[in-house]
Amino acid sequence: MADTPYLGQTIDVVLGQEYLTWLWFRSETRSGQFQTPDGDPYFLYVEQRVSVQGGEGETLETATVSGNLSELREARLGLSTGKKVNRALIRIEHDPEAWQLSLKAEDFALGGLKTPKVEKADSEDDDPDAAFLEKMFLIEKCLTYLDASYNDFLNVRLSPEWDDEVRQIGRWLEMAE
Amino acid sequence: MGFMNASASFTRYHITEPVPSDLWSQVPDKLKQFAFKEIEDTAEERGWGWVCFDDMLDSFWRTAPPEKGEFITFSLRLDTRRIPSAVLKKHLALALRDEERKIKEQGKKYVSRERKKELREQVQLKLRARSFPIPAEFNAVWNIQTGAVYLASTQSKVLELFEEYFSTTFGLDLEPMTPYALAVKLKGEDVMNKLDTLEPTRFA
Repeated sequence: MADTPYLGQTIDVVLGQEYLTWLWFRSETRSGQFQTPDGDPYFLYVEQRVSVQGGEGETLETATVSGNLSELREARLGLSTGKKVNRALIRIEHDPEAWQLSLKAEDFALGGLKTPKVEKADSEDDDPDAAFLEKMFLIEKCLTYLDASYNDFLNVRLSPEWDDEVRQIGRWLEMAE
Repeated sequence: MGFMNASASFTRYHITEPVPSDLWSQVPDKLKQFAFKEIEDTAEERGWGWVCFDDMLDSFWRTAPPEKGEFITFSLRLDTRRIPSAVLKKHLALALRDEERKIKEQGKKYVSRERKKELREQVQLKLRARSFPIPAEFNAVWNIQTGAVYLASTQSKVLELFEEYFSTTFGLDLEPMTPYALAVKLKGEDVMNKLDTLEPTRFA
């Protein structure tokens, strides 16, 4: 038996799933263009692998699709029948750098984060921590972009504009049918 | 699992309370105080503690200090002994047969439930002492400027152990950056009312 969810946990699931759904819609309809609060532009794509989930308990169903566009279309069809995105593969680009990661809706656990390549120190004179510091810089940079998109989502989600956004998401879903 | 791998899986935390300014200088000593101790020569099922970020065999930070730039780095080392169930079953059967032979000589018929439990514990202890602890290492990185803490694991049992042991070591609580907590961090505590009454959206 699963533990009874506490209030915050249920809200975690709602927020996480709606954010990933919105992110997918927002990224597709605006060609992946996003901006940090400081005005730094970056690209974010929801790609290749999206997992949607519907039902509860014994009727819980998960469909994971990967690869080409027609299959992604199927996941979108899943959304139009009331399923929710519970995991997404995300690609972030900020020329010339690129990151890839998978994000889980319910707890924002980060999986398989790939950063741009970090050069290993090749001589003893180099700072032994240089590679580590560069790696952390790149990881935190990726989190900054991810948080900026979550911040965008919250701005819409917690405002009266959300109803209009939901109508647009509905139309986007209909286009997949 | 580590941050230096080509692909890293991790959990984000934030320290919820102000960090006492004298704590930073005590970090290396606190890590050593709660460092990992080998369980190789014991029959312990699990052993855990902090080790050097650059070398999981170093519980004394001889390889490198925990400070790297604006980060404090260390790893959670967790060693576990696992006895394969078939091995346990075999040795339990052997012990039971031996016991049955002994009580027969005493004129009794059955091994009592209590005695079976005792035998099981003895067998487990004996096998554990003979088996190798399986080492595991999980990198932890603490950004002292932002209060962000990252642990290179997404396994709930490892996260629980890390949160508890971090709190024991530093006297500070870690808040996992779940969707709710991250929303509060980004938008401030004022949004909590709105979040608490949030109704799930129907998109279709």
